[in-house]
Amino acid sequence: MMTFLAAAAEQPGAFETIKTTFGLHGAFFAAQVINFFLVVFVLKKFAFGPIQAILEQRRTRILEGEEKLKRIEKQLAESEATTAATIAKANEDAVRLIAEAKEGAVAFTEQKSQEAISQAQQILAKAEAAGNADRERISIELKREFGRLVATTTTQVTGKVLTPEDQHRINEEALSKVGN
Amino acid sequence: MRFALQTVSLWLLSLASTFAAAEGGHHALPLDAQKLHDWLPVSNSIIMVWIAVGVIVLFCRAATKKMSLVPAGFQNFAEWAMESLYDFLENLMGPHLTKRTFWFFGTIFFFILVSNYLGLIPSVGTVGWHLEDGKGHSAGFLPILRGANADINMTAAMAFTFALLWIYWAITENGLKGFLAHIFAPKGVKGFLFWALMPLFLFVGVLEVISIAIRPVALSFRLFGNIYGGEQTLEKLMALVPEKLAFLPALPFYFMELLVGFVQALVFTLLCAIFLKLICDHGDEEHH
Repeated sequence: MMTFLAAAAEQPGAFETIKTTFGLHGAFFAAQVINFFLVVFVLKKFAFGPIQAILEQRRTRILEGEEKLKRIEKQLAESEATTAATIAKANEDAVRLIAEAKEGAVAFTEQKSQEAISQAQQILAKAEAAGNADRERISIELKREFGRLVATTTTQVTGKVLTPEDQHRINEEALSKVGN
Repeated sequence: MRFALQTVSLWLLSLASTFAAAEGGHHALPLDAQKLHDWLPVSNSIIMVWIAVGVIVLFCRAATKKMSLVPAGFQNFAEWAMESLYDFLENLMGPHLTKRTFWFFGTIFFFILVSNYLGLIPSVGTVGWHLEDGKGHSAGFLPILRGANADINMTAAMAFTFALLWIYWAITENGLKGFLAHIFAPKGVKGFLFWALMPLFLFVGVLEVISIAIRPVALSFRLFGNIYGGEQTLEKLMALVPEKLAFLPALPFYFMELLVGFVQALVFTLLCAIFLKLICDHGDEEHH
């Protein structure tokens, strides 16, 4: 390799030949370097800067959007779970309330039936008592009428005016014969 | 806009024909860029660089004038182009290096692409003056415009700028010690073997330094050779037939040159990116 380097060093005309053949010119080279930096500056300022900024902005927005979407999906899942739990709880409450209502209705019906039976029994007792009282009153009235009829008949048959004692005795005898 | 472009194209084409006719026949594009002024270092390719800068500025201004999060028109196209290149480089070099160096690689790619395509416009490299010496003999042809990358000064300017930035990025990524170790030190061995292999790796390191030094030269000549060769091909093909039909044999090769313009821009960018990635790889491993 050292031989190669030495050989290259011994040919100073090679570079000059290349320079001359291809027109490699110091001033042009420097001018083109300046031109190239001008292109770099222009593209960086007017193209890469704004476009990369907007691409970055869009990328950030997309990432934010995706994050939001994930959050929304999570919230939706949570909301659905909460809704399902609420519905389940509501169902349980409803079932419990219906059961309680049914139990209450049965108890109420029983209570009302008992009250109705009680009232009916009271009404029956009252009716029976009233019937007994009526029968007693009618019986008394019948006895009294029967006594009066017996006394009247006796008076008319015998032609004798009966004293109260006679009337009482005849009534007693007649009533004992007809029975109660 | 379309009308204006068509008008300019027609004007350029007619101008090209007029000049060619006036100058009387075929003329070869010289190998070297030529000075247009006696004391200003302004060559015909520098004029093309300025035109390329102007085109890029106009496009960028149009694309970034009314930036919005929902892109449309020029902005959409510019974003697509830039994002595609960015993703391509990111896959190659990784996110960190790409974020740090995209301004350079993006510039390289778009500038070479625009310059190559501008060099294909009729009249570039073909419209100019025939020079004569004092005795009335032809002393060559001086085109007014010359493709920017058909000038070794331009390609060398880009390649050597990259070389400097390459070394700077390598040192800042790996540290000076890491950078030198990457070139000269044995890798993957320790202890006695490390010291035993040191002379061999020092020699390999010297070869690596030569390789590093040659790379910008190779980059310069590859791009220059392809673009200059393309322009020469088009000119030679046009010279094969009568002037009225000169456009005909070159026409299919214009499509090929469109492809070559893109491929060369990509190759230059890709090689620079690979060189950078290779020299920064060691540092990445150490960081990990």
